[in-house]
Amino acid sequence: MDYRKPSFSFFSFFTIILCSNIPQISAVEYPINVWPKPTTFFWPNPQAILLAGNFTISAPEHRYLTPAVDRYLRQVLMEHHLPLVNPPLNLKSAPPLTALVITVADVNSPLTHGVNESYSLAVPSSGENAILTAQTVWGAMRGLETFSQLVYSSPSSVACGLYISDVPLFMHRGIMLDTSRNYYGVKDLLRLVKAMSMNKLNVFHWHITDSHSFPVVLPSEPELARKGAYGESMKYTAADVRNVVEFGMEYGVRVVPEIDMPAHTGSWAEAYPEIVTCANMFWWPAESDWPNRLAAEPGTGQLNPLHPKTYQVVKNVVHDVATMFPDQLYHAGADEVVPNCWKVDPSIQTFLSKNGTLSQILEIFVNTTLPYITSLNRTVVYWEDVLLDAEIKVSPSLLPPENVILQTWNNGPNNTKKIVDSGYRVIVSSSDFYYLDCGHGDFVGNNSKYNQPPGTPQGDGDSWCGPFKTWQTIYNYDITYGLNEAESKLVLGGEVALWSEQADSTVMDPRIWPRASAMAEALWSGNRDETGKSRYAEATDRLNEWRYRMVTRGIYAEPIQPLWCVKNPGMCNTVH
Amino acid sequence: MGYTILSFPLPLSVVSLFIFCFSIPGISAVRYPINVWPKPTTFLWTHPQAILLSPNFTISNPYHRYLTTAANRYLRQVLTEHHQPLFKPPLNLTSAPPLQFLIITITDLTSPLTHGVDESYALTIPSSGSTNATLSAHTAWGAMRGLETFSQLVYSKPAIVASGLYISDVPLFMHRGIVLDTSRNYYPVEDLLRLVKAVSMNKLNVFHWHITDSHSFPLVLPSEPELAEKGAYGEEMKYTADDVNRVVEFGMEYGVRIVPEIDMPAHTGSWAEAHPEIVTCANMFWWPAEAKWADRFASEPGTGQLNPLSPKIYEVVKNVVKDVATMFPDSFYHAGGDEIIPNCWKVDPSVQTFLSMNGTLSQILEMFVNSTLPYITSLNRTVVYWEDVLLDPIIKVSPSILPPENVILQTWNKGPNNTKRVVASGYRVIVSSSDFYYLDCGHGGFLGNDSQYDQPPGTDPGNGGSWCEPFKTWQTIYNYDITYGLSETESKLVLGGEVALWSEQADSTVMDSRIWPRASAMGEALWSGNRDETGKKRYAEATNRLNEWRYRMVSRGIGAEPIQPLWCMKNPGMCNTVQPFVS
Repeated sequence: MDYRKPSFSFFSFFTIILCSNIPQISAVEYPINVWPKPTTFFWPNPQAILLAGNFTISAPEHRYLTPAVDRYLRQVLMEHHLPLVNPPLNLKSAPPLTALVITVADVNSPLTHGVNESYSLAVPSSGENAILTAQTVWGAMRGLETFSQLVYSSPSSVACGLYISDVPLFMHRGIMLDTSRNYYGVKDLLRLVKAMSMNKLNVFHWHITDSHSFPVVLPSEPELARKGAYGESMKYTAADVRNVVEFGMEYGVRVVPEIDMPAHTGSWAEAYPEIVTCANMFWWPAESDWPNRLAAEPGTGQLNPLHPKTYQVVKNVVHDVATMFPDQLYHAGADEVVPNCWKVDPSIQTFLSKNGTLSQILEIFVNTTLPYITSLNRTVVYWEDVLLDAEIKVSPSLLPPENVILQTWNNGPNNTKKIVDSGYRVIVSSSDFYYLDCGHGDFVGNNSKYNQPPGTPQGDGDSWCGPFKTWQTIYNYDITYGLNEAESKLVLGGEVALWSEQADSTVMDPRIWPRASAMAEALWSGNRDETGKSRYAEATDRLNEWRYRMVTRGIYAEPIQPLWCVKNPGMCNTVH
Repeated sequence: MGYTILSFPLPLSVVSLFIFCFSIPGISAVRYPINVWPKPTTFLWTHPQAILLSPNFTISNPYHRYLTTAANRYLRQVLTEHHQPLFKPPLNLTSAPPLQFLIITITDLTSPLTHGVDESYALTIPSSGSTNATLSAHTAWGAMRGLETFSQLVYSKPAIVASGLYISDVPLFMHRGIVLDTSRNYYPVEDLLRLVKAVSMNKLNVFHWHITDSHSFPLVLPSEPELAEKGAYGEEMKYTADDVNRVVEFGMEYGVRIVPEIDMPAHTGSWAEAHPEIVTCANMFWWPAEAKWADRFASEPGTGQLNPLSPKIYEVVKNVVKDVATMFPDSFYHAGGDEIIPNCWKVDPSVQTFLSMNGTLSQILEMFVNSTLPYITSLNRTVVYWEDVLLDPIIKVSPSILPPENVILQTWNKGPNNTKRVVASGYRVIVSSSDFYYLDCGHGGFLGNDSQYDQPPGTDPGNGGSWCEPFKTWQTIYNYDITYGLSETESKLVLGGEVALWSEQADSTVMDSRIWPRASAMGEALWSGNRDETGKKRYAEATNRLNEWRYRMVSRGIGAEPIQPLWCMKNPGMCNTVQPFVS
């Protein structure tokens, strides 16, 4: 594991107060907890004090920190959260806490990959000011979230006599949501960002378009959404995108756009049929073998790299998207280029007949688009396929590691290793561990699999990535498994992914939460206790409480156990 | 297949005969531009058209305490729903006068809502509003089914209705229900009302309310208030008598029976909070280290079984039964009877003494059944037990103390095999096979400290650790023939089925999406079947209809989960597979 050390030092102030007895990271079960568990949580005598009715938070003025401070101030004064298990905390008779004072070393650091998110928080037991120190405003936001989770009850009380020093293990901690297979309202996206921030996740990877619909309205290419969106009410306008991006800034969540190409572009054909091969064909014709499919799932269509018009459209798209999404990362897709979809096109047939290869065609595409994207000061993220696909892939020489990050989704740690061994930075989204849609069966129609005689084994239910990934499966996955320390440094972090064939607004919250919370803790402070032992058992009750708190905050996280288990700690365990 | 054939052919009215007798085909496989879920038995619509619904549209019906409320509700709905189907039905709006009236006639206004009540109806919507639409039914409950059908034929703004059609409809199975467990996790009354509403939309007719279990006892009983006071999860997580009355009355207005289940003698750990002396093995760790599975205290965390040898339990049980029977008027009373675990009784000294005198655990259960079943039946109730009471390999009772006229068994293990064993023993059966009808399966195990999810990458994750894996897709549910392998006579004992949502990993946050639209799949299979007129399974054809119906449920406030990308509906057939399944 590549534990990144916090770069700041303890205040001498706290050193004086606390240095008499600093243990290791404690495995003690505290009466109130923070999710994800902080790196260091020092609380020798758990107590609580009232929050003054005129409690205030002072912070340096900042375009995004200031609204966050206002929001947290309202929240701590009004949330009045009642934990499932009343924290056995003595309420001190000390004067109530009247202020949280935030100091930020560098208020100019932008929200970008690798920004310093560390913070330290001290809540004294005397009623003296609580202190939150951070290098950046984004770290201060993480600290504010921590502070908010320490406040509970009515009237508001806050855990006191504690010191927290916190810093994430991995810099990139995200959620991917597919808004093409099914549409999500902007309100859903804002609620997602809000919940991510609660969990100290920092990247919303927005898989905006795919073969099924093209919901984003682009100023230079308005026809794409006009014809490719599911309907008038199922689009994201420029104002919608700005709303999401600005909201993200106020919550310390980066919004990374993905316009998947050259495959997964059937929806582009509604506006530009001439640039898309195999559009609107039946995905896997009868009598044909799987290698002769036209797409890996219903919804065919790939951009034709041999058609000059493709690049006009693509450049407009990239330009608009880069304008609308300020983040430095731009996800350009490149997964699942399917041979037969290109092979049905006459121009490609001609190219192949002159001894050209499909990989060369992809190289033409990458060579023509990647430099343009990087020219806009973007680091490009591709799915691993561009390097690792068995049939259609590009030479690493076309993918400069300084400009390209690869996102892995196949073969668990094996592909992670292949990528870092090739010198690339990697974002881990292993479908064996991090795909949230798995385990709900197959969505294709007319599937006789589900019409077998009773008694036929049902196997894993025919979801291609079944079974369902439980929160523990996600929590326990070590994304640097099998890597040495140098290799581990190339692992930027991970993203759980919700592909939306069988998901939309109705299930977004429970499919994502609290399973994404499990990844959030694993990538923030790890999935092991100070002895190196997996801490999933100890995490269970904490996650139950946290899930409940998310629900009271309006996030419909699904339950992981009967409430009885929370009230009877340990009794729902297995010891076998 | 031995579908229950109903002897009641609804007489077509003279008018409809006149209109339609020229060309009556079999049940049509034609795809209609607008559909009703579950698909009606007979739907004749030779020239699909639509007419406006007059703004003064009214529904006339004979006065009936519940039907009148329902008719008013449907009137409001058809005038204000303005449903826009995902894909605009290609229907010509005729210039005929708008529809002014739906006239409901009922043969027997006094039939109560009970098992086997006649739910058939016939609906005629003429192609011109100068003639009234007519809905005829034997009972008020059949009329409610017809009103639901009518409401699904209305769409758009201004409201228009499919016209020139005749529907004659009758369910294949009389018992079509949903089990919801409100003990493992609590559901507020609003959720239960929304559930009943959705149950009614799908022409399901039974909400089987698994109210209590070892985890909590949320039901406040006038004679035994301590049970909820100490056994509920909290003050705000109880069902009061008023709450129950609200659910029951709401059910009547929606034509949905509420069948209560107070599970006993097992699954009663929560009773021990108030009455520790009557519960064996309460609050013990469910499966101790070093113990074999056979020596567990419960099949899942949450131990406790009523002690049939303690005289005190019969006082408590009779109070409970009496109160529950008073609060729930339905003629079915579900008394549980599942998963009695040997070791939970064996740790009790009185049980040990009994066993040491050559008594058996089955005899102890027989005592319990003998002391409680006659009391429940004396309150004019038919008792439903889980199959275990007859089929459990270790602890079961002799069929001689389970009179088939008073007892119905609900099957949940071993698919059609146990259904057959139950009917072969002469009992009526309700099918809830966990292989097909358990809605909670496929979300992994809920146990804490479970190392199966901490294996090295590359380890085969197998089926994911849910005991009834995998997730039951809507197709799995739709395709299950609940009379599979039975003779026609045996099939007659199959009353119907219930999908079940056990709540270890479910509560309000996921109730709608776990249940719908998968319960809709059972709704159609048990109403008009899962085959077309040629006998072929119609799951492929049902997909688009279910997509539309799921969307309509969502717009009606039921958070049903999507089954496909919206793209699939826009491109009919394109999301199919045409490859044969190879196992």
